[in-house]
This record gives sequence, structure tokens and C-alpha cells, in this order.
Amino acid sequence: MNDLWAGGPDPGNKPRSQGAARQHPRTEGHNDVVLVVDDDTSILDTVSAILSGEGYDVVSAASGQEALAAISRELPVVILLDMRMPVMDGWAVARALRAQGSTVPIVVMTAAESAQRWADEVGAEGFLAKPFGLDELLSTVERFRGPGGRRN
Amino acid sequence: MSALDLVSALTQLVYVVIFLSVATRAVREPSSAHADMTLFFGAVAFIIVVARLAAVIGPTPPWLVTVEIAILMALPYVLLRLVDDFTKVRSIISRAAELGLAAGIVAAYATAPTLPTPVLLYIVAYFFVVSIYCASAFIAAGRRSRGVTRRRMQAVSLGSILLGTDILIAGLTPLAQPVDRAALQALQQLLGLGSGVAYYLGFAPPSILRRAWQEPELRAFLARSASLPRLPTTLDIVRELEHGAANSTGTAARIGLWQEDVAKLRFWQDDGTTADVEAGQQLSGRAFELQRAIFSTDPIRDNPDAAASYRSRNVGAVLAAPITAGERRLGVLILTAARPPIFAASDIELAGLLADQAAVILESRALIDHAARVRAREEATRLKEDFLSAAAHDLKTPLTTVVAQAEFLERRATREPTAPADIAGIKRVVRESKRLAGLVADLLDATRLEQGRLVGEREPVDLATLAQEVCGHDGGDRGVCEVQANAPVVGVYDRRRVEQLLENLVENAKKYSPQRTPVTIRVWQQDGEARVTVRDLGIGIPAADLPRIFERFSRASNVDDRRFHGMGLGLFICRGIVEEHGGRIWVESEIGKGSTFHVALPIGDGRRLN
Repeated sequence: MNDLWAGGPDPGNKPRSQGAARQHPRTEGHNDVVLVVDDDTSILDTVSAILSGEGYDVVSAASGQEALAAISRELPVVILLDMRMPVMDGWAVARALRAQGSTVPIVVMTAAESAQRWADEVGAEGFLAKPFGLDELLSTVERFRGPGGRRN
Repeated sequence: MSALDLVSALTQLVYVVIFLSVATRAVREPSSAHADMTLFFGAVAFIIVVARLAAVIGPTPPWLVTVEIAILMALPYVLLRLVDDFTKVRSIISRAAELGLAAGIVAAYATAPTLPTPVLLYIVAYFFVVSIYCASAFIAAGRRSRGVTRRRMQAVSLGSILLGTDILIAGLTPLAQPVDRAALQALQQLLGLGSGVAYYLGFAPPSILRRAWQEPELRAFLARSASLPRLPTTLDIVRELEHGAANSTGTAARIGLWQEDVAKLRFWQDDGTTADVEAGQQLSGRAFELQRAIFSTDPIRDNPDAAASYRSRNVGAVLAAPITAGERRLGVLILTAARPPIFAASDIELAGLLADQAAVILESRALIDHAARVRAREEATRLKEDFLSAAAHDLKTPLTTVVAQAEFLERRATREPTAPADIAGIKRVVRESKRLAGLVADLLDATRLEQGRLVGEREPVDLATLAQEVCGHDGGDRGVCEVQANAPVVGVYDRRRVEQLLENLVENAKKYSPQRTPVTIRVWQQDGEARVTVRDLGIGIPAADLPRIFERFSRASNVDDRRFHGMGLGLFICRGIVEEHGGRIWVESEIGKGSTFHVALPIGDGRRLN
């Protein structure tokens, strides 16, 4: 993966607009898109940097509203969704998605002890309990990778 | 038989019946009051019977007239003794009355049976003066007492006034015109009847009347008692119970509560001090230990230790009843009166009833207190759990970045040792680590605050200079913070904590001013206080959130930046710093227009010693 980094822009500094979010073509086709939603920008930047490094196209959203706006343009293979966000929280985002008929799998990201229960509440495919390590993050997202990185 | 004769006969009959009633009572319950009552009504009855017999048998012999006069003259003296049976009569007055009585009897003997006008006038004057003195003594006793006792004393004083007037008229009748005599005699008869009935009701009220006289106060007390357990303090309840018991029995009441920790009965005096009594000691301790009511008609004899206190408080009778709820001995109810006849036999039962009612009220109070303590403990546990859970949650957020980013950096350094450093990633780790350190510091402060030891050593601090320093801390933001201060404002504070206070307020102000509008610190002195305001033109705080804004983990609902002081501890700590300095902190805010945080700190003399 050396070539991925050589001379490339720093993943953590990339703008979070979805146009610029897809980077590092892994194959000649389209990369899997992962939507990351968290109001904590450090977590957003870190997760984006890690997943981009693994060849995903990362779309990050710092609020529930941004997440809903992004989902209508992108077709992510999975949404990593923080639950406790001001104004529009994880539950509201999940409800809005299901109301739109979206079937994109959700993985709940939370620091709360009730991660499993919250995941069940919003019909999520799994959860990432904060603080999570690198391998945990990668193996969780790996489960949703399409064959050959196809576009959904 | 004329109407006048009928009234006369009825009056005489009433006196005789009253005499028989009090005589029976004196035989059944011998006491000095009953003996004096028997003497009083017996003297009147004797004169009546002799007069009636004279009407049948013939003229009264002269010696009997003299005896009659002596007995008649003794009446006001017996009345004075009755006053002493119910309240206090100074001995000099008793001696004067005895002398006056002796002088009158001697004069009557010497001049019998003619009884010249001066002697007659002397006798009438003596009778009148002593009766009026007795009436005023009973009126005074009535004013001092309450409930049933007050009503009894009022009846007795009415009786004395009627008797005094009656004798006055009797003495003046021979001096009146013959045409007026019949009317005066009729008036005399009526007054005599009135005084007899009033005396009887006052001195020896039948139990049915006594109960009726007790009822209004007892009813009022019982009606009020349901609300007593909710009074703010146990002392408030004790005072209300004492008041109710005193009113219901017409005596003075005190309640002593058993204090488990010192194993003593505690009484709360009117001057704010307390007096402790051991079980078995004094009358109260004895009633408590024996668990039964004790009635003492001579407390100075029964409890010589408290003789001085009984004398100074004019206590001549004590009724002590234990306050007990089932097996739990709660305390004792003490009723005191100047003289034993203030109490009736039924008062022992009434005291027991009042003590039982007090037990119910005190026990309810204990249950309410217990429930409140349990709730407070549960609440404290819940708060602690909430605190730990919230603290853990807020620590995990920066920790997520630190862990994941550090692992990512590690992997990268291992796999691609020659690749350029991921500066942004390293910066994130550093920034989030500092954020963690700040959160941990806040948590420690919040814990110290709860133990009240946030503020340490104090020194003179100029708030104006300190505000300048705080404003200048954030080099890049120098432009958006300004200080308005005309003169130094020096107080004795913990410099580090006051600096933390100002920093928190300024950071808060900047954080919630997304348009980078200026933050203004004003420092001045007013009404002997140091005053500081930190004003921003930011987003403001919703009115609904204002009351909670200084509470732990409180965050305004419109706050969407959780990056700095994310635990909502900042203002909680600010409040702690201000309050430990003996000051106040409050906020004014309007949505969309900004917030002004006000701080008032004492200067100099407001300082608490460490």
C-alpha cells in the first residue's frame, strides 16, 4: 500500500465534501463507499483517514442532516452512525433512512454501554463500541465490502 | 307566695344542692380545694337553713345571730383561700384578710345584737373589698391560662363580682327608702343565685361541662394534627404539639423527646437552650421509665431536685404521660399548672390521649424522614452512577481518536518506515490527548468541589489585572476579548481558581460566539463586592435551560459543539469556585443576542478563614 500514500494528500486534511471524499482508486472500477456520521470531527477525520487508507471511498457527515443529504447522492455499502448527536441524533437519522425506503446497513458507533441495545433499536447490522481499535474498525467494515469493490 | 319569695326559695335551694354536691366530692376526693369549697357553700347553706328554721320555730337567739355574722364574715376569707387553691395569693394579703376578719368578728360580738351602722358598714366594706380582690385575682389567673382553665376562672371571677355586688347591696338595703327595699332584695336574691351557680361551675364543673369547655381546643388540635408531620423541623412539630396539649387541657405543656444517642429525654426551652433528663430522673423521666402517667399534686415534695424551678415557674401540679408508639418509646408529655384543682381526674386520660396523638404524629414524621433519607441515598447513588456513566462516555470520545489514530500511525510506521510522517494524524492524537487531560482535570475538580475543597490558599488578587491576563492567554484570539476596568479590584482569593473561573467563562463565551463576535470582561466594585461580568454576543441560552446551567453535566439544548469541556462541568466548577469564595454567580441571556455571566465575590471582610 506504499503507493497509496506517496505524495498523496493527507487523508486527515481532506475536505469533507462528498465530491472530494472519494480518493485512492483501488481498482479500475468504483470503490465501496462508506458513510461516516459523527459530530466529533476528530473521530470523523481519524475514521476517514483509516478507511481511505484501506481503499474505501469515505463520505463523512458531521451531523444527522448532512448524513441524510449525503445518502441521497451516494450509495454507501454501510453507514457508521454515531448515536448521540445534537439536533438530529442517530435514532432520527435511522428513522428517516427507513422512511425513505433505504436498506443500507447501519453500524452504530457509540461510547455508551447500551451499544447493543441501541443497535437493535435502530435495526443496525452491528455496532462499534468507542473506543474501538484499528482492527475492530476494519473487520467490521470489511463485512460489508462488495465483491471486487463493486458499486451497489 | 310572692314571686320574690319563689326566687328566694330557689336561690336557697340551689346553694344547698351545691353544698351537698361539693361536700360529697370532698369526701370522695379529699383536697384543700374541695374542703374550702365545702366550707364556702356550707357557710351559706348554714345561714339559709337557720333562717328557714327561724321562720318556722321562732326568732333566732342573739348568740346565733352573732355566729351567723361570724360565718358570713368568714365567707370572703374562705373565698380568698379558694383563690389560693387555684392560683397564688401573696401571704401578706392572706394575713391582712385574717386580721380584718378577726376585727369584724370582735366588733360584731361587742355590739351584738344591735349592730350599729359603722360596724355594719365595716362588715360590708370588708366583704366587698375581699370579694373584689378575689374577682380580680381570678380574672388575672384566667388571662394567664387558656382553654378550659380560662373558662373556669372566668366563671369564678364572675361569681366573685356578683357576690361582692350582692353583699354591697345587702349592706346598703337597710339605708334605702322602704319602697325600694323590696326591689333591692329581689336583686340581691338574683345576684346571689348567679354567683352561686357561677362558683359551682367554675370551682367544680360537672364533667359534661368540663368536656364541653375542652372540646373547641381539642377539636382544633386534632383537626390540625394531620398536617403536623409535614412541618419543616421536628422542633416545629414539638412546639405545635405542646401548644395543642396546653390549649386542650388548659395547662402549660412541654414535650421531651428521647434521644437515642445520649439516652436522655430532651426538652427544648423557650430561650433556645435544651435540657436533658435521664430516664428515671425527675417526674418526666419516671413517667418515661415506668411507661405510665404520673400525677403529682405536690411536685416539690415528689421531685425536690427541681424545687427551685417549680417555685420560679409557679408550678404546683404536674401530670407526666409517656409518648409511646407500640414498642417505641418516643418521649414524654408534661402538663403543669399552678395548683392541682386545675386538673380533673379525667385529665389523666386526656393527657394519655394527647400523648398517643403526639406519638402518631412523631412516628409519621420519623417515617417521612426515613423515606426521605432512603430517597436521598438512592438519588445520590443514581447521581454517582450517572456521573460515572457520563464521565466514561465523555472520556471515550477523545479516547476513540487516540486509540484508532495511534494504531493507524503505528501500522503505517511499521509497514512503510520511509513514508513521510502523517502530521495531521499525529496532531489529532496530541490534541485529543490534551482534551482527555482537560476532562480528567475537570472530573477531579468536580470531585473536589463536592467535598468543598476546591479553593485552596488565598492571597490578594487584583481581578482587573487577572482579567487582562486571561484575555491575553489565547494569543490568536486577542482581538475578540477585551477588558473594561477603571481601577484595580483587589480581594483575597485563590488566584489559580479565580483564573480558572475567568478562563472557563471566557472560553465558554468564545465557544458559543461562532461569528467571532467580541467577548467583554467588565470588572468593578459595588456595594462592598467585587463584580465581574463576561459578556458575549453569541448564540445565547434558551430560557428553559437557564435554571440548570450551573448544574453538573448540564448543557444548553442548543449547544452543538461538544469539543471543549464536553462534560458540561465547566459552569458547575465555576459555580463551585465562586460559592467556596462566598460569592454568587448568575447569568442573563437571550437567544441569538448573547449571554452575560455575572460574578459577585466578597472583598476582604467576606473572606472565610481557611
